Amino acid sequence: MSLPDQAAVQTQIASFETELTHARTARDAQAVRDRYLGRKNSVVASWMQLISSAALEDKKALGQRANELKQSIEARWAAYQASADQHARPSGAIDVTLPGRAPTLGRRHPLTLVRDRMEGIFTRMGFAIVEGPEIEDEWHCFDALNMPAEHPARDMQDTLYLATPVLGESRRADDKRTMLRTHTSSIQVRYMQAHQPPVRIVAPGRVYRRDDLDLTHTPMFTQMEGLAVGDGISLADLKGTLTAFAREMFSPSALVRFRPSFFPYTEPSAEVDISCWQCEGAGCAMCKRTGWIEIGGCGMVHPAVFEAVGYDAERYTGFAFGIGIERVAILRHQVQDIRLFFENDLRFLEQFPY
Amino acid sequence: MRVLVSWLRDFVAVTASPEELAERLGLRGFEVASVEPAPDGVRPPWAQMAAGLDGVIDFEVTANRPDCLSVLGFAREVSTLYNLPLRLVTPVTAARVPNVEVSLPVVAVTIEDAERCPRYAAAMTAVTATTSPRWMVARLEAAGVRAISPFVDITNYVLMELGHPMHAFDFAKLSGGRIRVRRATPGETMTTLDGVKRELDTEMLVIADADRAQAVAGVMGGGSSEVSAATRVVVFESAYFQPASVRRTSKRLQLKTEASSRFERGVDIHAPVVALERALELTELIGAGRRGAVVDRYPSPRSPRTIVLRGARIGLILGLTIPDADVERILGSLGLALTRRADGWNVEVPAFRVDLLREIDLIEEVGRHHGFERLEPTFPPMSMAAAPADPRISRDRAIRTTLAAAGLTEAVTFGFIQSATARRFLRADDATQLVTIANPLTALFDVLRPSIVPGLLDVLAHNRRHGRRDVAIFEIGARFTIAHGERRAVGLAWTGAASTEHWSGSGREVDFFDVKGAIERLCDMLRVPVHWTPTAAPYLTAGESAAIMAGDSVIGIAGLMVPKIVDEHGAPKQDDVFVAELDLEALEAARASGVARETMGGADETVRPLPRFPFVVRDLSIVVSEALSADTIRGTIQTAAEGAPAPLASIAFFDRYKGKGVAEDCVSLSVRLTFQSAERTLTDVDVQQSFDRVRAALVQTHGAVQR
Repeated sequence: MSLPDQAAVQTQIASFETELTHARTARDAQAVRDRYLGRKNSVVASWMQLISSAALEDKKALGQRANELKQSIEARWAAYQASADQHARPSGAIDVTLPGRAPTLGRRHPLTLVRDRMEGIFTRMGFAIVEGPEIEDEWHCFDALNMPAEHPARDMQDTLYLATPVLGESRRADDKRTMLRTHTSSIQVRYMQAHQPPVRIVAPGRVYRRDDLDLTHTPMFTQMEGLAVGDGISLADLKGTLTAFAREMFSPSALVRFRPSFFPYTEPSAEVDISCWQCEGAGCAMCKRTGWIEIGGCGMVHPAVFEAVGYDAERYTGFAFGIGIERVAILRHQVQDIRLFFENDLRFLEQFPY
Repeated sequence: MRVLVSWLRDFVAVTASPEELAERLGLRGFEVASVEPAPDGVRPPWAQMAAGLDGVIDFEVTANRPDCLSVLGFAREVSTLYNLPLRLVTPVTAARVPNVEVSLPVVAVTIEDAERCPRYAAAMTAVTATTSPRWMVARLEAAGVRAISPFVDITNYVLMELGHPMHAFDFAKLSGGRIRVRRATPGETMTTLDGVKRELDTEMLVIADADRAQAVAGVMGGGSSEVSAATRVVVFESAYFQPASVRRTSKRLQLKTEASSRFERGVDIHAPVVALERALELTELIGAGRRGAVVDRYPSPRSPRTIVLRGARIGLILGLTIPDADVERILGSLGLALTRRADGWNVEVPAFRVDLLREIDLIEEVGRHHGFERLEPTFPPMSMAAAPADPRISRDRAIRTTLAAAGLTEAVTFGFIQSATARRFLRADDATQLVTIANPLTALFDVLRPSIVPGLLDVLAHNRRHGRRDVAIFEIGARFTIAHGERRAVGLAWTGAASTEHWSGSGREVDFFDVKGAIERLCDMLRVPVHWTPTAAPYLTAGESAAIMAGDSVIGIAGLMVPKIVDEHGAPKQDDVFVAELDLEALEAARASGVARETMGGADETVRPLPRFPFVVRDLSIVVSEALSADTIRGTIQTAAEGAPAPLASIAFFDRYKGKGVAEDCVSLSVRLTFQSAERTLTDVDVQQSFDRVRAALVQTHGAVQR
């Protein structure tokens, strides 16, 4: 038998690769590998055997060739194995475009999402979030807020009264009538009774009015009222606070405009407008071509309110504001009908992110 | 208040267009509803031709500014806004010299209740004509008032111009030629101008003649003394009535008029005579009659209110420095009289500004006319860290995210529902427990909800009607009963598939254990261990309803809705609707009471060290009576394992089988027991001994047969 020459090395490598290509299963491939690299009777083993019986002058060259063959085949086998692991499944074994098996995910209500966002903004401005009862007495809802007994808002027309007084949080014994709170300002009154200035809170919650259901009114809606009391707090501070809110909530370039107005519990009082972020003040359908959008009411806390809760109205000043959460949600999401928030149609609710 | 711009120009020489006036007054506190062209013929004989564009601006006037329910009130605002002089005397007044008709009789006026009527003035007029001129009719039309007859038109003209309500009587119809301002007598009735017979009470003030009431003071006149075509002598009434009295009477009679709405907010106590003079002047100007005597009863004249305004306080409140000269100009122009003092001014407030009661009101006026647009936004300095949020906020947030992650969508429903529906959701059908609304707008919302569930059923039904098969919803909110007052709760309702349909396998319909699982996950998240016991409720199907317990207290309820009630809410009655409700305050109380501490290894959030020794798992399959509850078996196992060599770390029910190979009233249960010691590695012998004790106990106590 003639000794393998350099060409034989290449021939063996080529035939190893050919056989490997034709291997259909992992077992076939292993058999091919064993035929070339096995300890006994394999190609490499037989070449190694030849070395011992070869003539002295041939031994070195033969050894080199046998080694070269062994290393080449081992390298190719390792590469083949790596590739085979990767191709353990036929291509296209699954249709990756089929829908995934996601756990069912519910949604939080858009009013919750907006409220959370507003709470986040005010929290970062140092406001604490405070809640309170929905059933209120007349003192917390009206008297303490400079709305005397004959005030029109106390009329049966606007307020839903309860037929019999119902337990509330620290209800005043001398108050005979209880009602559903008409604003969350009553929470502010409760907070001021329990805490001395400085005060910086927002009070979110449901409020009730004796209103019919239509495109823009519901007998129940959600408010967030803010209050800051301390030394030297001014109307300009209120403007700055609401500007910061508007910039984060609506547009980084939003401007705030105060239009003088009247609320019994603030003086001065103002309606809060935000420059329209859709048309940048040029006038569009959203802002009814005025360039401004109303989002709430505000003002400096009336000294009579401070007197009612036992604060020194001479020393402390403060501001208060009220924003309708539905109003913000309507503006952010372009909701045309406020009733959608309370109808809870899943086709509506599922448009909002988790 | 509809303001005709050319009428405004009688008092202030402003040339701005109606649009400009509307926009600028809009930023001074008067919201604009509309700007319209002026009707034809509004120009009176004295008006200058080149005064500028005309129009009608419809302003919304806030409750604190009754003085602006008049052209004069707006003229004063415009004069301040444009820094123009206010002409209190109109062109026509300046040209007139009164010419009193002395032959006219004089009405005898007596005030019998000076508290309810501090001032009453009247004037006599002989009637000479019966039509109003075109310009007066047109101006009234612009103001939104229909012309009727000259004397009624004159009172309305003065009402719109000066804001002071007046009334005109036919003198011949006043018995005894007298006017008595008195309270109504018991049982007294009167037919008002609108033809309605009114029953009066003794708290109501009336204008009476010698015999009977002829007008409800400040509200509406009577039909029997109305001015008619036959009237020869008219008595103009111009008075000041106490706001609270008019408000009460108007409310009691359910009669709101232009007059009552002004009187109840407060008119100018000096206006009665000024308005009367203006009415007489107009009477002569339009040739409607000749003036007679004026009677003015004002027993206790009031002195003007004086308020101290401190300059430093203005800057403090507004956060803006306003020069003293501007403060003086603004307040002076609004009709206030200022005298300097060391720290600011003594300010005398005119009687027509009923809203200016204390210093802060003056600061508001200064700020308003200086312009809020000049405020530079600043941020209030923080002197201490924010207080922590109400703990309910983070708890409710966690509940919302947990339930949404469990596949339920949040709903928000009204706090009030219908009483007939509400009754069904009380544990005992005791309607006296419902919190009733005294003045509901509709019978659909006549009580506060005693439970979150009925609202959720309505939402479920709405979605079922709109083609949704699978509905899983929850809500957090207040619920109300007489006994417990207002309590916060979370409710959920679930029907249809247990999870989203997937192509890989058939879905499963929701059942009791899906709802239970969601509640358990929630309670686990809130670290309150709960257990469940069978219960009954009128709205739940017997046998598939359970009370949710924390320790010994019931904190909620869950179960399958009664089909009839599902049907009544408008969802198909064949739907299996599962509901649950947790009282969050009861849950909070349980958490605070240490239920959590005992069973959860510390509410103090301290972690337990990881186990150092391996655990051993043994499965046990037994056949027991079907009636035996899982809780009972669990109890037996726990008791049996107590003190056994291998401590039992957990018990899990992993299979439950009924059917072939298991007797009719029996069930095959598979329980996985995990043994673990904190001190040592357990030996096979230890585990076997513990396991045998458990098995023996089950056999002995429950007649269990090992499979």
